[in-house]
Amino acid sequence: MIEARGLTKRYGPKTAVDGISFTVRPGTVTGFLGPNGAGKSTTMRMIMGLDRPTAGTVTVNGRPYAQHRSPLTEVGALLDAKAVHTGRSAYNHLRAMAATHGIPTKRVDEVIEMTGLQSVAKKRVGGFSLGMGQRLGIASALLGDPKTLILDEPVNGLDPEGVLWVRNLAKYLASEGRTVFLSSHLMSEVALTADHIVVIGKGRIIADAPVGDIVNGTQQRTVRVRTPHATQLAELLTRDGSTVTSDEPSLLVVTGADAPGIGELAAAQGFVLHELTPVTSTLEDAYMALTADAVEYQTEAAQVHVGHGAAGAAPADAPAQTPEGAHR
Amino acid sequence: MTAAAVAQGPTTTTSPYRLTFGHVLRSEWLKFRSLRSTWWTIGTTVVVMVLFSLSMAASFNFAAQSPEMAAEMGNISTVQAIVLGYIFAQLAVAVLGALVITGEYSTGMIRSTLSAVPTRLPALWAKAGIIGVVTFVVGLVGIGLSYLATAPMLSGNDLVPDLGDPIVQRVILACAGYLALVALLAVGVGAIMRHSAGSIFTLVAFLFVLPLVASFLSQEWVRDVEKFLPMNLATAMMTVTDADAGMVEVLSPGAATAAMAGWAVLSLAVAAFVLKRRDA
Repeated sequence: MIEARGLTKRYGPKTAVDGISFTVRPGTVTGFLGPNGAGKSTTMRMIMGLDRPTAGTVTVNGRPYAQHRSPLTEVGALLDAKAVHTGRSAYNHLRAMAATHGIPTKRVDEVIEMTGLQSVAKKRVGGFSLGMGQRLGIASALLGDPKTLILDEPVNGLDPEGVLWVRNLAKYLASEGRTVFLSSHLMSEVALTADHIVVIGKGRIIADAPVGDIVNGTQQRTVRVRTPHATQLAELLTRDGSTVTSDEPSLLVVTGADAPGIGELAAAQGFVLHELTPVTSTLEDAYMALTADAVEYQTEAAQVHVGHGAAGAAPADAPAQTPEGAHR
Repeated sequence: MTAAAVAQGPTTTTSPYRLTFGHVLRSEWLKFRSLRSTWWTIGTTVVVMVLFSLSMAASFNFAAQSPEMAAEMGNISTVQAIVLGYIFAQLAVAVLGALVITGEYSTGMIRSTLSAVPTRLPALWAKAGIIGVVTFVVGLVGIGLSYLATAPMLSGNDLVPDLGDPIVQRVILACAGYLALVALLAVGVGAIMRHSAGSIFTLVAFLFVLPLVASFLSQEWVRDVEKFLPMNLATAMMTVTDADAGMVEVLSPGAATAAMAGWAVLSLAVAAFVLKRRDA
C-alpha cells in the first residue's frame, strides 16, 4: 500500500510534482503513466525517501519508507537500472545489498536465478547491456521478498521475451497480494500489465481509475457533429452538461454525450445533421488525449482547452477535475 | 512523523531480516573489498611508502659518510626514514577515502545504497569506520615493509630505528594515525562534494597547496593558522627532535593529533549534515 497526500516537489522555480494524492493498493498492478518529464521518477524517488518532498507526505505500508525497521522487506525498488557500481560484479552487488539486512547469500542465488542472470552474475556490471542491467535492478528489488514493489520503467531495454517476463512477474507478484506500482510512458504496455492506472502529466494527476474506465471513458466521450445549426446545438448540449469545442464553423466536438443522444436532441429541435460520428480512439489516442495539455502547455490546463485540437483537449479536461477535486 | 509511526503499530513486519548497523558495516566491507580500485590504491600507498623510505635511507647513509651533509641534516631522528613516506601516501589514502563515496555518486550506486539504508547516516559511519581502520592498518604495513626494506642499508651505519623505543613506537602510530585521519577527512569531503575530480582537487589543495602558499606569506596570523594545516600537523605529530620539524615552530604532538582529529570530525559532521538533508 502506497499513499501519497499532497506530494509536491519543486526544484527552484520548476514544479516537478504538484500536490499529487493517490493510493496504490495491494493485490493489483497499478500503472503510473505519463510522458517523459511528467514527474513519475521524482514521485517514485520521493516514495523511496531519496528525494525530500517540498510538501506533502507519502507512506508505504503505513509509514514513511525510512522509518521501517527492515526497508528492503517492505519495498523493493527498481528506480534506475544504472544504480549499480560499474566496477563490481552483479553477484557482489546483490550480496552487498542483501548484507544490509542480513539476508542470506542463498536468497541472492535465488534472485539471480529468477532473473536469469546466472551466466553473467560474476561479471562486472560495467559491461552489462541495458537489458541485463534492468534484470539486475529487478533482482535487487526482489532481494527482500518485499510486500511492495516499485518499478520505474521496468521494460526499458528488454527484449520481447523480457517484456513478457516482467509483465507476468508483475501480475504474479500482485496475485500474491503484493502492491505493485510500475511506471511507463507507454500506454499500451501499462494497459497490458496494470489493473489500475494513475496518469500524471506536468506533475499533476490527470486520471486515477481502473484501466478499463480510462480507455472506455475517453473513447465514448467524443462525438463529432457537423450541422448548419452549430451554435444553437452547442448551446443546448452545453446546457445538458456536455463540453463542446469547435474548430471551424458548423463542426462541433462533443464530450459528455453519446451519438444517439445528440441525434435525438437535434431531431427534437429539427436541426439538420450532416455528420454524427462517435470518435473511436485507440489506447494510445486515449493516453495522448489525457496528457495532451500536460505535454504542450505551460499555462493552466483550464485556460487552454477551448479551441484546442478537437480530439485532444476536451477529454483531458474532464478527468483532470475529478481526482484533484476529490481530495480538496 | 513520529506520531504517525506510533499509530501504525499493526504494520510491523514478520520478516526475520533487519537493517542494523552491524549489517550495514558488513555490506560496506563487502563493497569495499569487491572493487579493484580499492586494492590498486592500497598497493600504491604501500609501494610509495617503501620507495620513499628507501630514498630517505640512502640520504641517511650518505649523511653518515659526509660531515657537511650531516651538519645540514642535523640530528634528524632515524625513525623518520621509515615514516616520511606518508607525505605521498596521504594522497593515495585521500583518493581511497574520497572514492568510497564519490564512486557511488558517479555510478548511481548511491541510490541503491540509500534505498537499502534510508536512514543514510549508518552508511556514512560504516564507510568511515572501514576506511579509518583499513588506512591505519595499511599505514602500519607500509611502515613495517619500509623498516624491512631499509634495515639492510641502514644497519652498516647503525641507523636502524629501534622498534622497542617508546618514542619510535609513538611516531609510527602517529604516522598510521595521520593517514587514517586524512582518509576520514577525505570520506567527508567526498560526501560533501559528491564528485571525484572535485573532491581530489580540494584535498590536494588542502593537503599540499595551502601549506605551500602559507609558507610564502610572512604575516603573523598566517604563522598561527599555518600550524593547523594537515601537513604541518603531520610534522608535529611525528616530531622527535627540532630537526624533524625542519626548525619550524609546530604544535606539540598531542595537540597536533587532536587538531588533525578535529579536521576529520568537522569534515564528517558536515558530510553527515548534508547527506541527511540532500536529495540523493
